[in-house]
Amino acid sequence: MTGDNSVVRLDQTDKVFHTRHFFSRDPKTQIRHFYQKRDVHAVRDVSLGVAPGEIFGLLGPNGAGKTTIVKMISGLVRPTGGAVYVDGLEVERKRLQVLRRVGVVLEGTRTCIWPLTPMENLSYFGNLKDVRGKVLRKRATELLEFIGLAEKRDVQVRQLSQGQKQKLAICIALIADPPVILLDEPTTGLDVQSSRAIKDKIVEMTRVQGKCCLVTTHDMNVAQELCDRIGIIKDGGLVACKPTDQLLDLFSEQVYEFRLDQSPDTRALEAIPGVVAARVEEQGDGPVCTVQIEPERDARSAALYGAVGEFQAQGLRLHTISHRQQNLEQVFLRLTNGQPHE
Amino acid sequence: MGFFLVLKAEIVRGFIIARRYWFASLTGIVVGYGMLFMLITALMTGSEQIADMAEDAVGGALKLIIGIFAFGIVGLFSQGLQGMARTGELEQVCMSPHGLVTNFLARSFVAALSSILSLSLVIWLIALSFGGRGTLQFDFLPTVTLLALTYVNLIGFGFMVGGLVLIFKQTGQIAILIRLGMIGLAFPAQENINQWPLFLQTIIHVLPVTNAAICLNDVLIEGVGTAVFGYRAFYFLILSCVIWTAIGISLFRYMEDWSRDKGTLGAY
Repeated sequence: MTGDNSVVRLDQTDKVFHTRHFFSRDPKTQIRHFYQKRDVHAVRDVSLGVAPGEIFGLLGPNGAGKTTIVKMISGLVRPTGGAVYVDGLEVERKRLQVLRRVGVVLEGTRTCIWPLTPMENLSYFGNLKDVRGKVLRKRATELLEFIGLAEKRDVQVRQLSQGQKQKLAICIALIADPPVILLDEPTTGLDVQSSRAIKDKIVEMTRVQGKCCLVTTHDMNVAQELCDRIGIIKDGGLVACKPTDQLLDLFSEQVYEFRLDQSPDTRALEAIPGVVAARVEEQGDGPVCTVQIEPERDARSAALYGAVGEFQAQGLRLHTISHRQQNLEQVFLRLTNGQPHE
Repeated sequence: MGFFLVLKAEIVRGFIIARRYWFASLTGIVVGYGMLFMLITALMTGSEQIADMAEDAVGGALKLIIGIFAFGIVGLFSQGLQGMARTGELEQVCMSPHGLVTNFLARSFVAALSSILSLSLVIWLIALSFGGRGTLQFDFLPTVTLLALTYVNLIGFGFMVGGLVLIFKQTGQIAILIRLGMIGLAFPAQENINQWPLFLQTIIHVLPVTNAAICLNDVLIEGVGTAVFGYRAFYFLILSCVIWTAIGISLFRYMEDWSRDKGTLGAY
């Protein structure tokens, strides 16, 4: 999707890295060469857009090209083909103007200066990002309160925990109040509380403040919980880009679980029009009848009513009904293992 | 305007770190003083004409200090840049809307100011330790002019080295040799090199540091004052500033662009 209201937009973006190797073994032929030039296609023809107030997740295996995309948006890497736009400005042509509109937290880097305190770090990076005077002081104070670091404002960064440093890195990215936030693996290595706090802040920034946020992560729970839309990238190419609920439905098989007090007669269930298969699994708290139903909407409705009616006719007590949905991890694995989809 | 904002940020940062790590800052000055004191004492030992030797030794120490100054400024663009890339700080600086060149100009200015202040203190202490023999002649206008030109000359050269380090991070190690070479160059530098072979004269004048060392030596030790503005080395210094700055900044910008292409900007 490259909607017109997108703040961040990639149009058929390509990136090829040319690498040179001395005395290295060719990975394909295993023959050692004195000198060899190799091309690494890091990003292939990627088009996507992120709207204001939207959290867009970029998922992919290691080396898929996620960080390269983030770096292309932030002007650290130049695309080989296509174009990247931020707020309508092409990054290649207006790089310095684009940098005023983008806040970036890159993965695993020491983004803050350790001998300084969080407040001093924000003053320093605020100046580097053209924020000054009272505005800078006010914004720094507000950000530290927003992220929950107000009590640590005068403690040297070296004495802060990993989570607190990560929170400070987010504050640094936000100090110029950019409309676009790029977060590369924002919750990696954090404990549950810090991770929760950062996720809450990301939601608040987008929902309340209307910022547009692009998150890359390996954590499927983070992506499923946070992102409005998700792009899955493999070998540099975008293999899927859909709203999260649609992505979860991609491989859905319309399987329903009925938790009952006794095991039902599955042959009677399979005789209902629209029911594909039925089986019973004994679980710790009683039997669970798993019924696979035809995906077509009318047939599905009739089959569900029929199944519930059959349980009632058999004199069974129905405790719960749930739709067994794929989780993002299963969808991700199927997509990155090359399973086709619509 | 952007330059002054970045400059302010760098000055505040430098001051906070120097204050917070005051013991390390002080130790650096004491160690520098101690080393120079021993060097000068060693040079004077066994000499009957101690007064003359003291003057020569302080002159030698001054050249060494100019070399150390050059070593420090160029180091900011080599090992400094390499270190920033390693910690991830460089990526943040690269994402500043003021641009990398402005950021490094401000950074090098603060580094130069800090070096000049601490080295001046060391020179003053050395001169004082030898009972006023070899005392420096501080003539404001020529001294400040020469220091400013020396700084511009060095950052031009530094930008050239920095450009190479942006692409080839490993060259930071080779840059140590270049920096040591600068200390070596400061020593033989003198105005009366006319009798040297032409190619050597050219090399001496084209390379950074040498012209500055010649001029600063004569102003601070010989006390030639504004007469230095008539020196051939002074005009070579101006020419060298223009050439190195133009080459350095152009190359740095080109390398910054190339580095974005290679995907190594800001990364180690």
